[in-house]
Formats: sequence, C-alpha cells, structure tokens
Amino acid sequence: MRLLLVGISHRTAPVELRERVDFQTRGVDRALQALAARGSAREAAIVSTCNRAEIYAACDDAAGAREELVSFIAEFQHVNRAEIAPHVYERTDLDVARHLFRVASGLDSLVVGEPQILGQVKDAHTTASESQTAGPVLNRLFPASFAVGKRVRTETGLGSGAVSVSYASVALARKIFGDLRGRSVLVIGAGEMGKLTALHMKSHGVPQVTIVSRTMAHAARSAEEIGGSAAPWDELDTILARSDIVISATGASSPILTKARVEAVMRPRRDRPLFLIDIALPRDVEAAAGEIEQVFLYNIDDLQATVRENLARRESEVARAEAIVSDEVEKFGAWLRSRSAIPTVVALRQRFETIRRAELERLEFKMAALPSDARARVDEITHLIVEKLLLTPTEQLKALGDADTVGAYAEALTRLFGLQPDKPRDGEQPADRGNVEPFPRPGTRTPR
Amino acid sequence: MNAVPLALYVAAFVAYAWHFARRDASVGRTATTLLAAGALAHTFAIGMLTMEVGQVPIRGATSAISMFVWLLALAYLYTELTTDERAMGVFILPIIAGLQVIPALRPVVETRSAVLQGPLFSLHVSSLLFAYASFALACVIGITYVLLFKEIKAKHLGFFYARLPSLQALDRMNQRAIVIGWVFLTLGMIVGVVWATQARGYADVAPQVQAMSLQDPKILVALVCWAIYSFELFAARRIGWGGRRTAYLSALGFAIVLLNFVPISYFFTKSHNF
Repeated sequence: MRLLLVGISHRTAPVELRERVDFQTRGVDRALQALAARGSAREAAIVSTCNRAEIYAACDDAAGAREELVSFIAEFQHVNRAEIAPHVYERTDLDVARHLFRVASGLDSLVVGEPQILGQVKDAHTTASESQTAGPVLNRLFPASFAVGKRVRTETGLGSGAVSVSYASVALARKIFGDLRGRSVLVIGAGEMGKLTALHMKSHGVPQVTIVSRTMAHAARSAEEIGGSAAPWDELDTILARSDIVISATGASSPILTKARVEAVMRPRRDRPLFLIDIALPRDVEAAAGEIEQVFLYNIDDLQATVRENLARRESEVARAEAIVSDEVEKFGAWLRSRSAIPTVVALRQRFETIRRAELERLEFKMAALPSDARARVDEITHLIVEKLLLTPTEQLKALGDADTVGAYAEALTRLFGLQPDKPRDGEQPADRGNVEPFPRPGTRTPR
Repeated sequence: MNAVPLALYVAAFVAYAWHFARRDASVGRTATTLLAAGALAHTFAIGMLTMEVGQVPIRGATSAISMFVWLLALAYLYTELTTDERAMGVFILPIIAGLQVIPALRPVVETRSAVLQGPLFSLHVSSLLFAYASFALACVIGITYVLLFKEIKAKHLGFFYARLPSLQALDRMNQRAIVIGWVFLTLGMIVGVVWATQARGYADVAPQVQAMSLQDPKILVALVCWAIYSFELFAARRIGWGGRRTAYLSALGFAIVLLNFVPISYFFTKSHNF
C-alpha cells in the first residue's frame, strides 16, 4: 500500500485559485463520497482550509492515482485541469507523513506556529471517518499528526508569542491585569483599527467597551457594531478615570492625552494600573505619559516590534520542531514497514490453521469416544500450540527494518511453507489485506 | 540529620532554575518532587529530634531556623499547588537552601528549661515562624513583581514576561501573604508579651527573662517589622497603594525579618538566647 498526497497551498497557488478549489464550499464529505465512488484510492481524507486543499490517500498504484486525483480536483471544482496542474504538488509514502506532520504542527502555515491548523487537521480526519473513507493507514497517520502537533506545541516555542498587533495588545493586557473579565475598555476614535482591537478584547472576556469620538454619531454607530456603548467627547476624563484599558486611534494632529491629563486621571486611581494603547499616527498619547507609575503605554511601533520579536523567536524554534517531526516520521515509517509483512503473516497463519484443522478432522473417529469437554480441550491445546509457534516469527517479521528484507523473508517463507499470500484459502473469508489483524482477537475462533 | 533535606533542597533549587530557564514541564515536576522529598526528609528529621528531646524543637535559635525552613517549604508547596505557578520556586529555594545550611552545619542543641515549658511559649514561637514564612513568600513575590513590571514598562518583553504570572496575580498573592503574615506576627507578639509576664517568676533561674524589654534588639526590631507590615496593610487598604510600592515594602520588611532572625538571634539579643 502506498501513501499519496496531492494538493495546493499558499506556497504554490495564488489566493484566487485557492478560493476556487476550496472543498469547504461544496462540503468535504460530499467530495470524499465523490472520490470514493471513483475507486482510485483505498482510503482518502481531505484537509481543507483557506490556505490549502490537500487530498491524502492510500492506494495501490501511486502514479496512476496521482493523475486521477488531479483530474478529480479539476472535475469536482469545475476548474480547467491545465489551470491547476502547475500549482499542484505531490508527495509519496513517508514524505506524505512528513508533510502532514509539518502541517499539523504549524510549520507549513503562512504564520509559522499558528494554532488553528491542528483543529482543521482533526476536522479532516473526523470527516473522513464519518464518510468511511479513512482506513487503517489514515487512521494511524492522522492521529500520529495530532500527537506531533501537540509535542511541537509543548516542547518548543513555535506557537508562543502574539504575532498580530491586536493579539499582542490582548496578550499584554492579560499580563498586566490577569483575567480580563471585569475590566473596562475605552476606545477613543471611531476608526476600524480601534474597533478591531476592542472586539479582540471582548472575545477575551472584557464585558464593557465604551467608544468616545468627537462626532457622537460616529461613536454611536461604532458602538452599535461591536456591542458597546457610546459617550460624548466632553465625558472623556470621567470615563478615562474608570477605565482599565484605553485604545486610542483618532486622526487628531496633536496628542489628545497629554502627560498632565493622564496624571490628573491617575491621581485618584493611585496604584490601579492603566494600559494605554496608542495605535494612531500621528500619536494620540504623549510619550512622557508612559513615565507615570502604573501607566503602561504602548504605541503601534512598540506593538509591531513585539510582533516582529515573536516572529523571530518562532523562526528560531523551527529547527527544534523539524527534529520532532523527523523523529515522529521515523516512528510512523517503522509502523508502515511492519505492515508490509502482514500478507505473509496472514498466509502463514492460514497455512498453520489449515494443517491443524485437517489433522483434527483426520483424528475425528479416534476422538469420537471422548466426552465433549475433552474434545474441546484438544481443540484448545492444538490452537495454543499453533499460536505459540507463530508468535516469534510474527514479531520478527513485523520488526523488520526495510522493504527489501521483508521481501526476502516473505519469499523464503512462501517457499518453505508453500504459502500463497494473495489468495484466500479454502473457505476463509476473503478479507481486505489492510483490515486483517495479524492475530485473531480472543473469541473469534471458528468453532469446530 | 539536617544534611539530607539540605541536599534535596539544593537539588530542587537546581531543578527549579533549570525549569525557569528552559520551561521544560517535566523538569518542573522533578523540581516539585525534589522539594516535596526535601520537606518530607525534613519532617522526619524534626520528628526524630522531637522524640529524642521529648518536645517540639523550637527553643534554640538553630532549631527555630530549621523549623522556619520547613514551614517555608510547606507554605511554598501549598502556594504552588493552589496557583499552579512554578516560576517562584527559583527565588524561594535559595532562601530555603541557604538557611538550611545553618542547622546542617551546627548541631541542634535543644535546651530543656522549666521556663520554656507550656503551650504559650510554643504558640509564641510557632506563630512567629509561620509569619516569617509568609513574609518570605511575600518578599519573593514582590521581587518578581518588580522584575516583570520593569520589563513591561520598558517595552522589552522577554525573559520574565514569558515566565511569570500577571502583575495583577502577583500583586494579589503578595497582599494575601502579607495579611496572613501580619495576623500571625500580631498573635505571636501578643502571646509573647503574655508569656513574658508569666515568666517573671522564673527570673532567678532564667536571667534572660529580665532582659525582656524594648531595649533588647530582638524585641525592638520585631516591633519595627510589625510597624512596616501594618503600614503596608494600611496603605494598601486606605491609600490605594499597590504594585511596586507594596512590593518594595515587602522586600524591605523581610530583609529586616531576616536580620532579626539570624544575626540578632545569634549575636546581639540578651532576652531570646535560651
């Protein structure tokens, strides 16, 4: 069984094309059903985000399936094949595992280390499970990728630090105030940037947002949009006095909050902290206001500098994350290789079982006189002997390092025991190779 | 007997420092385990001594230090378990390991004096030791507050920013430790006064009792501590002080506590050297 990946992402395709092949618009589950109906892959899962559309498949013939999957994307999304073909990349076998592990840990993301992608990979697996297109290989591959994502998150700093200005403000506010519930936010100015930051604060639990603007109507409209309240300009000082976080983003040409004004606001507050976020250009808050005890002043440049620092820090963690990915690819590879021994293991088991049954049948007339519980014991003992005999060879086969050695062993076993790996033997259920358990579960033995 | 806990405390300090630098969760758990093991070994050492001398060993200055270290270790472990914050360990362990050196090097001599029998004396000493442990925690929390405050204020979000809890949380933890410490300090001092009046009857066998006055450095400095922490509480509640100001006061208060606890106990006091 081969692993195959065909997809496009922000690295290979422009946003216009990505939008057109977004599987989410018509439903990932429908796409999986359509793909299953074509029968080119034994297993399939689709990872679909606004930055990528990737089909993960397990198939017998990788080269044929590749062409088939590209055609599928073109036909399903009603896009010209020639149009998407240059943007499509493909991976096979362990490179597929490496790619998915990198995706799940955020290494392949537009913003390195962003956390949403892990959830999106999990969704992809859930949808594939529900559509019954995930089989033993993908059911091993995807959970392994979740584990990689988790390891990278906990063992490296790849996902740490805010990487957008509004998130950086929230992170700072949380470092000053702890919990943001019960804090009040004041937005000065009715611009987009101020609203965006305020919305971010709200999503982190701030219950109260007040907007003050020189034009009351603008303030009222913005307040309505984000679910806050508006207040007239001349109440600015009163509201300042009771606010914890102030986001200032007006178009004023000279500072609105001078040091003297902030000092006057701080006097009755004593040591209650005030976080001033100045995202206006030119500045709304006099830089000297940041000297006041318990006033924390950050302007847009400061916030952007922390974002840049965080991005640099994430970059420096990439090597450690890649090492984890390699480590996990290795483990997955070992599992995948152990699977190539499965047909031989199954054939060997079937051979032994056939001999056991034939011998028991041959002795049937001699055992006829025995009580039924004694006959059951004979059946049990012979079964146990077969199990014991097969235990070591099975373990050894599954632990083999590379495909060539597995092939050589399989060849030798086939000759020594006269096996026919690909054909189910007399009366056995013809089983999908992929789903065969090398050991039968207890209780599944056929009664004589 | 006190060397085993010392070794474990030192090992715990190394682990806490390693955890603080690298932020490796498993190292952090190891640090907590080592500290808990140290506290357990310490419990055993104190327990053995108690059985040996037939009373809880808090009468000599050295055994009081050992007891203080033990209480501080337990108080810190409690804080860590309730707040799930390990970052403070790297600051508290030097105090624990550093003070434990004294009982590890000096033999603990427990005096058996008739004047020191009775529940009042035990209550006096154990209240004060617990108050000191609280103040030690408050001091460390205050120092970390200032470190984090400076980073945020200077817009250089680095080492401490990534490792410490929020300023608000540190401020709250500091205030709580001060309140608990102040209550036990007050209780310990009142009980001490009551005990000293009763002990007057033993003045002929214990000359120290006669030195129980404000002129004695141990008592005087204890009063100074009480004044500082009382002011800190008053300022926090009535004037609205918090943050850096209370953090500095906590550090100052504990510096004086430490001064009173070690050098004054050993070299200067005439009233508290039984």
